[in-house]
Amino acid sequence: MNKVLVVGGGIGGITAALELASCGVSVTMLEEGPSIGGRMIQLDKTFPTLDCSTCTLSPKMVEVALNHNIELLSWAKPMAVKKAGQKFQVTILKKSRYVDIMKCTACGSCFPGCPVVMKSEFNMGTGPRKAIYIPFPQAIPNKASIDKREDRPCKAACVDACPIHTNVLGYLKHISEGRFTDAYMLIRATNPFPSVCGRVCYAPCEQVCNRGQLDDPLAIRDLKRFAVDRFDLDSLEPSQIQKTEKKVAVIGAGPAGLACAHDLAVEGHEVTVFEVLPEPGGMLRYAIPEYRLPKEELRKEIRYIERLGVTIRCGIEVGNDVTLDAIKNDYDAVFVGTGAPKGLLLDVEGENLPGVMDGLKFLRAVNSGESVETGKSVAIIGGGNTAIDCARTVRRLGSENVKVIYRRTRDEMPAAHEEIEALLQEGIEIQFLTTPVCFYADNGKLSRMECIRMKLGEPDASGRRRPVPVENSEFSISVDSVITSLGQATQTSFVEEIGVLLAKNGTIEVNPLTGLTNVEGIFAGGDVSTGPAYVVDAIAAGQRAALSISCYLKNEPATMTKAVKKPERLTEDEVVDLTAKIPRVGRIHMPEISVKERVTNFGEVAIGYSPEDAMAEASRCLAGHIEGCIQCGECEKLCEVRAVDHTMRDEIVDIEYDSIVLAPGFDLYDPTEKREYGYGTLEGVITGIEFERICSVTGPTGGDILLNGKTPRRFYFIQCVGSRDRQSGARFCSRVCCMYTAKHASIVKDRIKGAEIYVSYIDVRAYGKGYEEFYKSTQESGTFYIRGIPGEITKGENGLLVRVENMLSGEMREIEVDIVILATGVRPRKGTEELCNIMSIERDEYGFIKVDSITPSRTNVAGIFVCGMASGPKDVPDTVASGGEAASRCMEYINQ
Amino acid sequence: MVSQTQTRVLTCIQCGKCTGSCPEAGRTPFNIRMLVRKKQFQSVVEESIPWYCTSCGACTLRCPRDVKPSEMIIEMRSALVENGAIPAAIQKALENTFVQKNPWGRSRAKRGAWFEKLDIEVPHISETESKRLLFTCCIQAYDPRCMVIPQNVATILTKGGVEFGVLGEEEACCGNEIRRVGESGLFEELQEENKAAFEEYGVKEIIALSPHCMNALKKEYGDLGIKIVHYTEVLAAMIKEGSIVPKGSFNKKVIYHDPCFLGKQNGIFDEPRSILNAIEGLEPLEFSRSRENSMCCEGGGGRMFFEVEATYQRNAEVRVQEAVEKEAEVIATSCPFCVMTLEDPATEKGITVKELSEILMEVL
Ligand SMILES: Cc1cc2nc3c(=O)[nH]c(=O)nc-3n(C[C@H](O)[C@H](O)[C@H](O)COP(=O)(O)OP(=O)(O)OC[C@H]3O[C@@H](n4cnc5c(N)ncnc54)[C@H](O)[C@@H]3O)c2cc1C
Ligand code: SF4
Ligand code: SF4
Ligand code: SF4
Ligand code: SF4
Repeated sequence: MNKVLVVGGGIGGITAALELASCGVSVTMLEEGPSIGGRMIQLDKTFPTLDCSTCTLSPKMVEVALNHNIELLSWAKPMAVKKAGQKFQVTILKKSRYVDIMKCTACGSCFPGCPVVMKSEFNMGTGPRKAIYIPFPQAIPNKASIDKREDRPCKAACVDACPIHTNVLGYLKHISEGRFTDAYMLIRATNPFPSVCGRVCYAPCEQVCNRGQLDDPLAIRDLKRFAVDRFDLDSLEPSQIQKTEKKVAVIGAGPAGLACAHDLAVEGHEVTVFEVLPEPGGMLRYAIPEYRLPKEELRKEIRYIERLGVTIRCGIEVGNDVTLDAIKNDYDAVFVGTGAPKGLLLDVEGENLPGVMDGLKFLRAVNSGESVETGKSVAIIGGGNTAIDCARTVRRLGSENVKVIYRRTRDEMPAAHEEIEALLQEGIEIQFLTTPVCFYADNGKLSRMECIRMKLGEPDASGRRRPVPVENSEFSISVDSVITSLGQATQTSFVEEIGVLLAKNGTIEVNPLTGLTNVEGIFAGGDVSTGPAYVVDAIAAGQRAALSISCYLKNEPATMTKAVKKPERLTEDEVVDLTAKIPRVGRIHMPEISVKERVTNFGEVAIGYSPEDAMAEASRCLAGHIEGCIQCGECEKLCEVRAVDHTMRDEIVDIEYDSIVLAPGFDLYDPTEKREYGYGTLEGVITGIEFERICSVTGPTGGDILLNGKTPRRFYFIQCVGSRDRQSGARFCSRVCCMYTAKHASIVKDRIKGAEIYVSYIDVRAYGKGYEEFYKSTQESGTFYIRGIPGEITKGENGLLVRVENMLSGEMREIEVDIVILATGVRPRKGTEELCNIMSIERDEYGFIKVDSITPSRTNVAGIFVCGMASGPKDVPDTVASGGEAASRCMEYINQ
Repeated sequence: MVSQTQTRVLTCIQCGKCTGSCPEAGRTPFNIRMLVRKKQFQSVVEESIPWYCTSCGACTLRCPRDVKPSEMIIEMRSALVENGAIPAAIQKALENTFVQKNPWGRSRAKRGAWFEKLDIEVPHISETESKRLLFTCCIQAYDPRCMVIPQNVATILTKGGVEFGVLGEEEACCGNEIRRVGESGLFEELQEENKAAFEEYGVKEIIALSPHCMNALKKEYGDLGIKIVHYTEVLAAMIKEGSIVPKGSFNKKVIYHDPCFLGKQNGIFDEPRSILNAIEGLEPLEFSRSRENSMCCEGGGGRMFFEVEATYQRNAEVRVQEAVEKEAEVIATSCPFCVMTLEDPATEKGITVKELSEILMEVL
């Protein structure tokens, strides 16, 4: 079988390919872009018949896909051509599309999640598309592809460090470009508590952020809060959920339990949460103070979980009001997420005196609105986050002399650095290397605390240096109350009763990847199995358990969550390279209420970013610095048939052909350089091809002619822009613009009642059958043809001012319109030069492919033919004719 | 034989783009497209008509057939000059230029008067090492309103440590306007005289103070092998490097008018704006017609020397009116012709016209 290569999948290439295939030739069609169709598929209608362009071309495109004699390669182009005798040895580059076309079903599930919004080439930039996309619904092949142009310069260590693998780079990309709702939804996709995490997460992501190796890490947490603040969760409707008839009990309404309940409810299970305290939220509700996490923020997120159908029953203590055994019998599975609610004891004399309080109990009382008397001088014992929460709360209750007593030094303090800073700013002192040894009372009231100085000895099991008392260094401090915050323990006797295994310290033993305990149907996670940790770890544990509970309920083996990749750092070379490329820009900090004001009340300290600051801060993300796909992996997560494959690589193949047909088509003149017309600077000045997209049903407005959401009423078309024009180097007439302008005018007349339409022309070229008649009927319908080309367009009071001489009457006019459409001329397609160079094809002075005058498809190289716009301006009928001519010349050559 | 202009004129397709671009079209009896048409057929053109052209260059820059209508106008005027059929004021200006090398006929010996009263030393070009010449426009050399421009620029250059020299009375009118009123013979004479001076002193660089002079020196003197710049280019670069630092503030709304010879015709739009933007407190505004679409002030093409016949609202008035509507407090520009045309209507409307160097002087 003879083989022919057709380069270009526009109407020209399609015609040639179909003709050749019908003669029994095996055709390979190369299309540089994601789909065939060329320019014609971008058109709304075609002159002079006003047939729908898609309706005429689409069947032909499908024919290409179905024809057994045609092999279609999209994202492919020739790289080198060698003539071997009469034949051609062609090297073809197949660019990888990162989507397996054998698997992709064109379902479109992957697009919405992609955070990279780009201009749609198909819509000439009049509308957006994602980095993973199908250019238009009728695309052939109808498969997604990823526009990946370069490798991400950073390692996205943030995502790997985040226990719930938040798509950090994705939501930062959204924020940096002002898509705040999209950012929120992307965060929400993996996190039922964005507001909580946006405020109180310990942000392990920021600790590993690769930008930190250049200047400062991104404010990942604060930007999350920004996205949250601009979203009204109460107005978010949960999507329809298919019920499963399975019942799951969750013990404990902390973040682990609620996250688990959330995910189970989304899966359709009926979930009941049992909580001992009067309100759900666990430590979020009863430990974290209002000034860091306003209760209403938490309530909103819990309300949404309830709207998913989760029942939360408060005031029920499992083990006391109801046994776990009874619950186990009533439900198909149980998740235990009861946390670590007990404070540890100090174990010194006088600890039971009134005035000495446990930190957790103290915070719970304040958070419950009880009035707590702490007196003037208060000492807080401990160096963790809870100790600091206690101290800052006490300060807000009005105590003047607040002191934190810690037995090691600042370097060993487990509390977050920023929390310690805030504490110091608020005027609270920390006394390091000190520990209490005894509390004394006066008249039954706590009055004094005896302390001893410590020094650091050898490292202990935790790796920190062990504090040892300094002999004879006792001293005493007078205090009105003391709050101890030395760590937390679990309360797990109720699970032990049904045989669940506990570790020595009382935590529940689970498989950390699945949350499964040793008892069938009982799962656990969060602080109750790890000991005190962080909110986001608890959420992660709840989510992992929900996943394995779902599997368990379907009698499937537990799906292990994917092996976790360790956060990677930039290498030294990469740091040097990036430092050279990216200017140093430090973090933009979120503003806070002044210290003076904040210590007087429980109002939230951090105020939140302004949109401008948030966008500027988010745009520091290194991943956002590249064009195209940022390799965030969201599409991979969303694709059910696993068609996305980021490991694909470009391919190069060598194939021999008997002949070649070139049909690379055309581009349009970019009128930006004609500054007098203001294209690119004046709103409302567009080009003809952009206008086609705005008119088209497959366009960004669904076929409504809209400019910024409004229907324009006054239209001005200017012909010959960049054609017959020495200034732009194109002395030729583009042949299609007179007619497409007449077409545009008649489309407007048809769709917009009372539209006022002007067309500026030099002379109208409507040669041949049906064209002149079409021009005449356009005029008849009330389009004003003005002979005279405008000198300039400027912004007027209520629109665009077009200055033009109506030269048939000699009048100068200034016409005000809403939209100006420049009928830009044609140019050889970008890349035609390269294409011609690799096969030694000659071009004319404008870059169109040179042809023989009597055989208009024959190039200077025997065996290589050309059709369509590539050899000079042609409309669709002429292109089709030239496609047929090329095919027949090709057959002639092959059969020689 | 058909002249070059005539062959170009014959290719005109009567598209009207020139008329649509012309600042005189519609408001005066002048229709450039029609004149081209008449020229194609050698029909009679009323004598007063060609004098409306301001030589803004818009038609020539935009004509799709490269007819160069504004050059055709110069040729038409040449014919009129040859026949002596020209406005008396122009005749006078030409005679003056012939004798005193400036259109006002002021004494040539006084061409250097502007630097005599300055505190700084302004050396003759021969005494400089850099051979960098500061070239003054006739308006700047003689008109009391515009004399401050060379004075300011000389002071600023000195402050920034840029060495330069002047030609003083050896400098002649650049001839830009002379060529445009159709006296090519006189233009050539002026050109020869200036060229000889440049050669004699080995001039290596010319800082032109007026866009009109810059245009002539750069594009119409042939290849001089000399770097020619407008002073705003030099000052903008000095600010960028930090050799001059605007310290004070200028708390006013300033609207910038692009001179045709600096902007449209020579593509210098950003330098003047960057100078304004470097000044603290200054709030820059833009005309709706700015940069490439800037509206000609009607000062060029000999229009500085005489009044045309028709009465109509002058572009300068339109310009000032827009400035007032935009609540500008100062109209800034960087051409002595524009200063002269804009100032009258501006004063009437109570708004100030300042040449860029004047604003800069205030804040240095
Ligand atoms: C605004 C506008 C309106 C128009 N309206 C009409 C109308 O109403 N009626 C009408 O008859 N005509 C109209 N036309 C003209 C019509 O669009 C063209 O005649 C027609 O598209 C030409 O087809 P083609 O195949 O030659 O080129 P194209 O349509 O440009 O197709 C060329 C294809 O080749 C691909 N390609 C290029 N280089 C390579 C390479 N190296 N390797 C692989 N692939 C490559 C390109 O990606 C493209 O898909 C209009 C044109 C414009 C600009
Ligand atoms: S990896 Fe992320 S950025 Fe890239 S295509 Fe997929 S969703 Fe879009
Ligand atoms: S087809 Fe018409 S609009 Fe297009 S270049 Fe030719 S004359 Fe101008
Ligand atoms: S712009 Fe050029 S081609 Fe058009 S009318 Fe004027 S001179 Fe003639
Ligand atoms: S140069 Fe300016 S004023 Fe003269 S004809 Fe051309 S556009 Fe009109």
